[in-house]
Amino acid sequence: MSPRAKILAGAVLAVLALIAAARVVVTMVGRHEYKEPARARAADPTPRQQGLADEHAAEEKKNAAKPYVEAQYRAFPVVGSRVAIWVVAQLHLLFAAFVLAVPIFALIIEFIGYRTKDVRYDRLAYEFTKLLSVSFSLTATFGAALTFMLMILYPKFSNYLMSVFSPTFAPYVLLFFAEAFFLYTYYYGWGKFSPRVHLLLGLGLNLVGTGIMLIANAWLTFMMSPRGVSDSGAVISVMDAVTNFTWMPINVHRFIANIAFGGSVAGAYAAVKFLQAGSDEERAHYDWMGYVGNFVAISAFLPLPFAGYWLAKEIYAYSQTLGLTMMGGTFSWLFIIQAVLIGNLFLGANYYLWLGMGRVEGAVGFQKYIKYLLIVVAACFMVWATPHSIIATVSEVRAMGGSAHPALGVLGVMSAKNTAVNILILTTYMSFLLYRRTGKLSTVSWYRTGNAVQLAIFGAAAAIVIGLGIYGYFVEAKVRIGLSVPQVGSVLLAMIAITAIDVPMYRNAKMSAEVHWGKIPAISQYVLIFIAVTFTWLMGLMGYVRSGLRQHYHVYGVLPDTSVDAFTPTLGFATRVVSVTVLIFFALIGFVFWLASLHDKKDWGEGGHE
Amino acid sequence: MKLRVPLLLKLGALVAATTGFYTYVGQLVPQKEVYPPKETQIKADVTTAEMVTIGKELFEGKGLCTTCHTIGKKEGPFRFPDLEGVDTRAKTREPGLSDIDYFAQTLYEPDAFIVPGFNPGMPTINKPPIGLTDQEILCLIAFLQTQGGTATVTIGTKHKYNGGGTTAVAAAPAAPVEKVPAESAPTPSQAVKP
Repeated sequence: MSPRAKILAGAVLAVLALIAAARVVVTMVGRHEYKEPARARAADPTPRQQGLADEHAAEEKKNAAKPYVEAQYRAFPVVGSRVAIWVVAQLHLLFAAFVLAVPIFALIIEFIGYRTKDVRYDRLAYEFTKLLSVSFSLTATFGAALTFMLMILYPKFSNYLMSVFSPTFAPYVLLFFAEAFFLYTYYYGWGKFSPRVHLLLGLGLNLVGTGIMLIANAWLTFMMSPRGVSDSGAVISVMDAVTNFTWMPINVHRFIANIAFGGSVAGAYAAVKFLQAGSDEERAHYDWMGYVGNFVAISAFLPLPFAGYWLAKEIYAYSQTLGLTMMGGTFSWLFIIQAVLIGNLFLGANYYLWLGMGRVEGAVGFQKYIKYLLIVVAACFMVWATPHSIIATVSEVRAMGGSAHPALGVLGVMSAKNTAVNILILTTYMSFLLYRRTGKLSTVSWYRTGNAVQLAIFGAAAAIVIGLGIYGYFVEAKVRIGLSVPQVGSVLLAMIAITAIDVPMYRNAKMSAEVHWGKIPAISQYVLIFIAVTFTWLMGLMGYVRSGLRQHYHVYGVLPDTSVDAFTPTLGFATRVVSVTVLIFFALIGFVFWLASLHDKKDWGEGGHE
Repeated sequence: MKLRVPLLLKLGALVAATTGFYTYVGQLVPQKEVYPPKETQIKADVTTAEMVTIGKELFEGKGLCTTCHTIGKKEGPFRFPDLEGVDTRAKTREPGLSDIDYFAQTLYEPDAFIVPGFNPGMPTINKPPIGLTDQEILCLIAFLQTQGGTATVTIGTKHKYNGGGTTAVAAAPAAPVEKVPAESAPTPSQAVKP
């Protein structure tokens, strides 16, 4: 074949191959293409496209007709809604208590500095105030978290509270803004204004803070002792709802407890700074600051049981059922745990005072009394912590002749406990009085008479407390309940009368020995921290009983709790939650302490970080 | 060589040990979970014997009676009256009132009469937080009647507080009235629940 013929044949073959290849491709693609099924088209009345359209239309119709169902509860993952709210609410309350308390004694200390012209007081007040700004931010953060979590997890309950208390929200928000204004101006304006203007700012901060507390207390006390609503919960009077049965007792109790708690945490801050101090001057300053913090805490702590009595009395007056659930029912054993905490607080406070006597030369004269005071404190602690009934096996109960121990059972009733706590208060007060006198010599002519009268008042108060305590065993309940009032009254009166004598007696006292601030064993600072942790834990525990008393009600007797968490947990579980909350609080307050201490550090460029 | 423990570690240990101690104390006391009371369903044809059983359950549960009252406690102190043999006393406690009338009065209007030697304190039982229904209160009365007497109340009994007159009247019962003396009151396990 000629070359020309070969070229022509090749070209024809190439075209044929191309056509064949195109044909194969078209066939292959056509084979995999979707085709309407030939037989289905005739048999199926719903073609695919139509079916999809129908499905979509049905979905839309169903969605359009979906009724609105208001959620009553939503679940929080892992720990559940109740524990989540519990922890966040408690953390909010702890920081709020601290933020409300510190300005009270900071202002008083600043005022003392202003009157005495002693700049040490001004420095001390500023040192306390340094802790406020970060704590305020944390309070607000936890407050916001609590509000959102309540709305998300408990929408029905939140709606109900909003329906009752909506008129109180605007004043609350305004007061909150005012508090931010006063707090930051008070802190950043330290030394920038005239002392009087600065004191006024501090006063404004305290007034506004107290106002916020009063409003918030109305919400939570309404949950426990509702008033101003009908049987079905309809609002009749917002003012009655605010001024419900337990509102004022809680206001007073919280005000005092906040000061005690704030003083103890500020004391813990001073203790940490003392332990970190690198010079005697620093140690002296922080020893003094710790002493003042503890003094504030214990001064507020002493009248706290009386405020507690009033609150308990109001709870009983509102509902005997609620009162008996608290003291004689589900929560009665909680008060044994409380006794251990309060006993430790008294022991810690007294121990710190006794250690503090070592700061003063010539304290030996007073130290000899300490062993007797310790015996009294320990004995009262043991009486208070003795339960009425004992956890025992059936055979043990038979052997005892009942659940109460034949000898110790008598110490488990209120007559014994009221007596023990009143004597504890008197003893701690005496410890403080001894400490106050260490290194001082009274110069007044009536010194001996004054001492004798003070001793007589102490003796009379103790005799009344013990006498009425014993008398309580021989009278019926109706009479016995009333005996706590003269017991408490005699102790309060004794403390007021003795102080009234002591102040003029030592006003121009001669210093017989010098006070060496900073010369105190390091263990005393750990005692201060122990007291702060115990106070915090106590607040957590008592917060639980106040809230838990409602049992299966969000608002007692008005709005039942129908959630999965409506049951009252065991005390063991409650104490675990309290402990976790306390640990979180101390981790956060440690952060606050650290931030506050940055203030004293040198700047980067000045060699602070080399 | 003396081991120097960092201050932060010491402080952390102190805080942890203190909270740990209090948590431990919390585990030493009796542990009890308290659940909301279960709703009691009462049949229309409930018998008096069944009412006694239901009443006993209400007494120990939803009614919260045992929070304050005891039955058979021999020695004081008594914060509120012990209820052993209460039916005997109820019959003569207030002139003109039968035991049913008296029990109804103490439950619906507790401050109307206070037992001498005790303070007022009884909550109104048909109002929240306890909030027993009229039928539940009749069952409770049936149980109280067995404390020193015989249950005669029926689910149709009318008294001053549930639409009746000043004196309780036993309506024609849906089921035959059985008189249930204390000793033959059925135990909770024998309860007939619908």
